[in-house]
Amino acid sequence: MSGRRLVVSCLLAVALLAVAGQAGAQPCLIFVHGKQTNTDTFTNYTAARNYWVNGSHDFIRTATKSFATSYYVVGYNGTRPYWESQAAGEVANEIVNATNGGADAGGHRCATTYAQGGTFWVIAHSMGGAVMDYILGNNDASDPNFNSNGPYDQVAQRLSMVITTGGAHRGSQGADAVCLQGNPLCSFIAIFIQSCDDATYWLRSSDDVQVRTYANAPAKTIYLTGGYEAIFGSSACLNGEDDGVVQYASIFACNGSATASYDNTNVCRNNAKQESSGFRNLDAAHENHSDERDDSDSDTRKQVPDGIWTCSGVPCAANTTVQSSMTTARFISILY
Amino acid sequence: MFENLKRPVVASLTLFALAALPAGAQQLPKPGQLALETAREYREQARYPESSHVLKVGEADPIRAKRTPTKQSRRGPDGTGPELAVWASAVSVEVGKPIDLFAEVASGGQPVLPLEMTAEIAGPAGEIVAQVPYHDDGRTPDRRAGDGVWSARFSMPAGLDPEGAAPYMVRATARLLDGDVRQAAGGFLYSNPSAHLTGRYRDAVRNGNLVISAEVEVKEAGRFHLAGTLYSLAGDPIGTAQAAANLEPGRRWIQLSFYGLMFHDRKVAGPYRLGTLALATSSRMPNALNDLVENAYVTKGYKLGVMTALPFAEPKLLESASRLEAEAMRSQVAQ
Repeated sequence: MSGRRLVVSCLLAVALLAVAGQAGAQPCLIFVHGKQTNTDTFTNYTAARNYWVNGSHDFIRTATKSFATSYYVVGYNGTRPYWESQAAGEVANEIVNATNGGADAGGHRCATTYAQGGTFWVIAHSMGGAVMDYILGNNDASDPNFNSNGPYDQVAQRLSMVITTGGAHRGSQGADAVCLQGNPLCSFIAIFIQSCDDATYWLRSSDDVQVRTYANAPAKTIYLTGGYEAIFGSSACLNGEDDGVVQYASIFACNGSATASYDNTNVCRNNAKQESSGFRNLDAAHENHSDERDDSDSDTRKQVPDGIWTCSGVPCAANTTVQSSMTTARFISILY
Repeated sequence: MFENLKRPVVASLTLFALAALPAGAQQLPKPGQLALETAREYREQARYPESSHVLKVGEADPIRAKRTPTKQSRRGPDGTGPELAVWASAVSVEVGKPIDLFAEVASGGQPVLPLEMTAEIAGPAGEIVAQVPYHDDGRTPDRRAGDGVWSARFSMPAGLDPEGAAPYMVRATARLLDGDVRQAAGGFLYSNPSAHLTGRYRDAVRNGNLVISAEVEVKEAGRFHLAGTLYSLAGDPIGTAQAAANLEPGRRWIQLSFYGLMFHDRKVAGPYRLGTLALATSSRMPNALNDLVENAYVTKGYKLGVMTALPFAEPKLLESASRLEAEAMRSQVAQ
């Protein structure tokens, strides 16, 4: 082999290693969807994958930087309560499978396993937030529902963090409206939630069904972002800012009343969450509940109290416009 | 790959230095910044075991907070006021005990007097188990006549004792003077716990930690969860501890171990007061919650010196921190 060919071969090898190493160097993103009105995402991978797609817009493609980062799509039964085996149990088992290098139902797998030193971030939308709260708040033998239907302890050990977008941590006033049977007011929320099924029943805002009543502080940090773009009609029935389905008090996991009114200037800080630790604000986006998970609305982003954005080296003031056009998927892609 | 894991401090310092570079307006979060901040948080959390944490000065008692009922409110059509808010006297009520239900209609913070306030109590399957009228006449449980807070005392009908616990929805309806209607949904847990605290406690220091044992009377075998918040005698919450155990019927003890470092962090010597204590039967979901016990016990006096001052060094969190620091380093280098 001539010297020139050797150099070219070496350069090629380095380039290949660099490309191959990129996915391994970055966290594997594990996607956990939200409330469903049927079991499709549980039984059909395409449905679970398409949860994150809207036409040509693809949340997963953007969040993974055009698939440069490895990913895994979880599909669970989104019609069941967040704590049940087909919800929390299924999610926990799938996350452990992902961290072991197993493939999701579409054949996608994390580039580096936990045993090989990999890191794993969960991206959860809507009810996926409550599911993750339950898993990570019951991961220790001293927790009330430790490993109740899945390997919560392994999930907590192996995940690095969770990011929720429009997370229903404190339920949804939309669920309240739907479960007020026969009430004509706010019934248009049913477009999104449809019926007071078991999952909806457990997403109401009363204390007896809240995940915080049955879990402790999450073992790994849950970062919070969500939308404030109203949906005509439904938003009128939600207190404070909301994404058309979930109100800010829930998206930002606030303590106190789940129906309290908040906006970008005053949403609860990191020391006023539903648990004494483990929840952190990121920011807010002018996206509705669907936009938050399908990358279709590249719009304004705003700072919230204790948010992540800095202005001239210090935290931006709450409600500062920090981006004029950025989807949540794109936002996630710049965090790693 | 694992070399970085062995040098977390060096990696952290390097990346903190990068993060401290002069910034422009509305700066994008730096790749790796979130991982690094998370790692720092995990290293701090790792000072305590997951079962016992210190509370910061001024931090509220988290066990009391979880058992404090909250209001659920809804406005009228099109998001217009007045707003109906409903709440219960407790998150959970034990079988055989009544629960008080409250409701108020307000507009702009001022009470609006409705013509009538009623509620349906609906079970988990949607079945209506009772219709409840509220009143605002000053008779128990109503605190003051005409103050706008409507009240009702409700006892579950016989024969509905759940196996474990069952959530009940309170669908309240207010008929306003102008004929308008407001509806809101609250709820409470109807609990049938399989164990109760007997009121017997004892305390000792073991391995530098304060261990408070609580006796429970178990009527049916199951899994039980106990959580408590320790206060100073001056009334400041110091820290929490929790434990869970599978217990057979009879009189049993559950031990809460308050990690010794919390007394050094808060600079508080004993005696200590067990300010809140929450027992639950957690054999199944939903868990059956016993009534919260307040001011359950005061320990013996202890000097700070008998408590451990060593960080716990929770290995799972430290491992996660190392991995995140390595990830942050790789992200920075890749840019």
